[in-house]
Amino acid sequence: MYKRYHIDTSLVELSTTKIGKFEIMRNDACLNCGRCMTHCIYDVHERDSADPRIMADPVNHLCKNCFACIQNCPYHALEMVMNKEFEKLGNTYWTPQVIHTIWNEAEEGKIPVLGSGYRGRFRGSGFDDIWTDMSEIVRPTRDGIHGREYIATAVDLGRKLAWISDFRRLDLPNSYEIQIPMLLDTSPLGLNSKSIILSIIRAAHKLGTFAFLDIENYGNELKPYLKSIALRCPLDKITNLDQSPWKEVNFIEIDLPRQFSISELELALKKLKSENQTALISLGLTDPSLSNGILKQFKEERADILNIHADNDGQSYEGNIFICDSIRKAQLDLVKERMRCEITILAKGGIAAAEHVPKIIICGADAAVLDLSLLVAAGCRVCKGCILNDCPAEIEKLDPEIAEQRIINMICAWRDQLLEILSAMGIRDVRRLRGEKGRAMFYEEIEKESFEFIFKENETAK
Amino acid sequence: MKSVEIKSCNSRFHKNIGKYTVSLNDSCFHCGLCVEICPYCVFERKDGFNHVLAPNSAGCLGPECKEGPYYCTTKCPVDAIKIELDPQWQTLGDFRWTPELIISTWQQAETGEIPSGNFEYKIGASGGGFDNFDFAVDRLTDMSSSDINNIITSDKISTSICLNRRGEGASIEIPVPWYGAGMSFGSISLPSMLARAHSAKAWKTFTSTGEGGYPDELIPYCNHVITQIATGLFGVSEATIKRTPIIEFKYAQGAKPGLGGHLLGDKNTPGVARMREAVPWNSLFSPFPFHSVYSVEDHKKHIDWVKTINPDALVSVKVSTPSDVDMVAVGSYYAGANIINLDGGYGGTGAAPEIAKKNIAMPIEYAITKVHKFLVEEGVREEIVLLASGGIRTAFDIAKSIALGADGAIIGTSDLVALGCVRCGNCESGRGCPRGIATTDPELEKQIDYIWGAQRITNLYASWQKQLKLLLHELGLKDIKQLRGRTDFLRRIDEK
Ligand code: SF4
Ligand code: SF4
Ligand code: SF4
Repeated sequence: MYKRYHIDTSLVELSTTKIGKFEIMRNDACLNCGRCMTHCIYDVHERDSADPRIMADPVNHLCKNCFACIQNCPYHALEMVMNKEFEKLGNTYWTPQVIHTIWNEAEEGKIPVLGSGYRGRFRGSGFDDIWTDMSEIVRPTRDGIHGREYIATAVDLGRKLAWISDFRRLDLPNSYEIQIPMLLDTSPLGLNSKSIILSIIRAAHKLGTFAFLDIENYGNELKPYLKSIALRCPLDKITNLDQSPWKEVNFIEIDLPRQFSISELELALKKLKSENQTALISLGLTDPSLSNGILKQFKEERADILNIHADNDGQSYEGNIFICDSIRKAQLDLVKERMRCEITILAKGGIAAAEHVPKIIICGADAAVLDLSLLVAAGCRVCKGCILNDCPAEIEKLDPEIAEQRIINMICAWRDQLLEILSAMGIRDVRRLRGEKGRAMFYEEIEKESFEFIFKENETAK
Repeated sequence: MKSVEIKSCNSRFHKNIGKYTVSLNDSCFHCGLCVEICPYCVFERKDGFNHVLAPNSAGCLGPECKEGPYYCTTKCPVDAIKIELDPQWQTLGDFRWTPELIISTWQQAETGEIPSGNFEYKIGASGGGFDNFDFAVDRLTDMSSSDINNIITSDKISTSICLNRRGEGASIEIPVPWYGAGMSFGSISLPSMLARAHSAKAWKTFTSTGEGGYPDELIPYCNHVITQIATGLFGVSEATIKRTPIIEFKYAQGAKPGLGGHLLGDKNTPGVARMREAVPWNSLFSPFPFHSVYSVEDHKKHIDWVKTINPDALVSVKVSTPSDVDMVAVGSYYAGANIINLDGGYGGTGAAPEIAKKNIAMPIEYAITKVHKFLVEEGVREEIVLLASGGIRTAFDIAKSIALGADGAIIGTSDLVALGCVRCGNCESGRGCPRGIATTDPELEKQIDYIWGAQRITNLYASWQKQLKLLLHELGLKDIKQLRGRTDFLRRIDEK
């Protein structure tokens, strides 16, 4: 029976993520009149339960920055400051705001909706230099997440036929349809926590997508989820693999080092094909410039998927190329080689917010690989060095079911936001978004188009 | 024009927010010197009392004090005064609405005067678009105050614009190059709506109903209220179309382009639901787009339809800013619109998904130039009025929009800031705005007295008009209409 794809969410709170942006301080001038209690509609101010004559300490993480209590206190006893702990979250790419947004999405599984306009910078670098398009007046009906009409977010992984040459012999190549253009990855920080790996893989299983797993982290407890695992193995380990679990998985990735010989790769690919004819074979690359040797593996159908890896900030390991540009380059190279439609491109690294998924797809990826964001959903704060036993988010001790549901919640929120973007464009299938650069506006281009002529003229006038 | 009445109109709060905190330590022996010397009344001693009261820090200008930096601290005989940057300052505002912009907008709403302190009241800190432009001439400080006064009260500099430039139909002129944007009943409270309408009437400009229907309380202001017809068609009736001088079709809005209006369930109180003919406490998501409009011809049919009901009304078309916004604008012109309202992505007052505000459709600055250029090329620019909205915060944003090619602007958030909004962004759900502005909660909305609110908005507009007159004078122009498209007056800040 036909069933609409649906992600079940539920509220999952986590005490370690209750870090508000603001802190309210009450000084000695307070006469406990209780007026702040009536003015704060978010229950930050309450009376002390033991002694109702006095006010309890403010419940800071509930504060929403409205200044109502501060400005209404007759004795000027309240003041707001930034919460230091909040400001310490993350780094310059995974900003406190990015982390906070993921935490909220992971808690509720809902699209973040706020009043009163945009508050950020005009533009930024990388993803923040891209605006997606919308369709006005003349367009087909799309109602986003609230509509009755279905917008497909499914994508295909694996090889596609460029054309059909003989209708009598239709052996289609292997491919898998996943219902969201997102894959998960268990190796965000070189973290080997068994429980978080299990939760990510179980989340992928429930969502009907794949989760990448480094072969050395494989264990028997993961056996029930083999069909959802994309097994990743460094090139030099492929030749001496033992039997299990290679034969049973549907998806294998070879992690290519910076320097390798094409003949070694070819040998490894051949061995994999002989062990497991049906699995999708992916090449994990850190360098977006595709050599002829690599292209040959795709042309001769030894590999089906190209997974471009960047670091957590979206930078390629090879130099300062941002993941968007890497993907645009790979996309263009494959188009030139006339084989873009036959293979799949994935983008891993730096996908930190819901809007990054449609944007990377516009740049040319088929799907995004989520890594560090999953850990953040589970409560991670992206500290500088990650020391497991000293983790403030207690990732190691986290109940796998809680982490799993929070990851699912976040992905549901991201998918719903993807639907909003697609609906605004009047697109009903995410596959149509791939490489659609015409449906996006890039800062450099639009700034030039709109303003260059103005300032050129001004220059010459002077 | 008879001038609008400007009255000082204080904040409705016990405590104002400032940039510095002033404190007195224990060595203070209450000599009262500071009370006498502070030009900004930070210190106070009640008649017949010995003690100096706790300082009113919000008035302090710190290093910008006109008597010299931290003047009082150097004069206090026992070094009892301490002035520090208030850590609270950082918690206020954001890149687009910096704390200085918010506070100076409040000051303008209180006094109706151009801010005199040293707060930046013209420009935000978002680093691009309007915040990356200024006017090539900017020497206001060289003038004596009587010169300035002559200019801002002069009748010889005109800031008025005409809202109908087609050869036929009603001619409507507004004395300032802006009117109020649509904010629905449901999104904001009735007192907030009344305050806006009252001030629109005083200024002989307009405000718009938004998509939540036309409350009867607005009828006395009907010559200054635009009826909006949006995709949800909430509360639209023949009567509401008939009583208005301008009808606004909202195809899309900048904060959530391509998505319909959002009113989350908590705010859909029985009163709001009655007006919208909907079920209370249900979230109302307007569809997108009009399900009866799939082409410019359909769009024309829409316009014909309202023109049949109200032949005298002007028609405004509100669209957001996709990459083909220029085509949409020309299409609207041929369909018969008088006004094209481009709504950019960075503004908006109601509930909207964060992802939409930031990412979908282009910022207004780009759209203005693009559309203006295209309309000129098509040879129809002189027949249509182009208004910009979505991220217009200050008089200077208005002037920049006009210099980029718009005829004028449409104002939303700034009206709310005049009413005391701090831009905390909590108005989308629950009981709505805790400060009583964008709420439908019967208790919370009592915080605003609409006459007070109207005066605040009126004052803000007065200050803006003065700033525009001064700017025009500086640029050597006599009329705001001459500024349109004069990009040669603009300068990029990052290339200075
Ligand atoms: S309003 Fe001020 S004085 Fe009254 S209880 Fe609150 S902090 Fe204390
Ligand atoms: S600032 Fe607003 S949300 Fe925060 S404690 Fe005060 S009243 Fe409550
Ligand atoms: S909730 Fe905050 S942002 Fe919204 S109107 Fe009130 S003060 Fe302004």
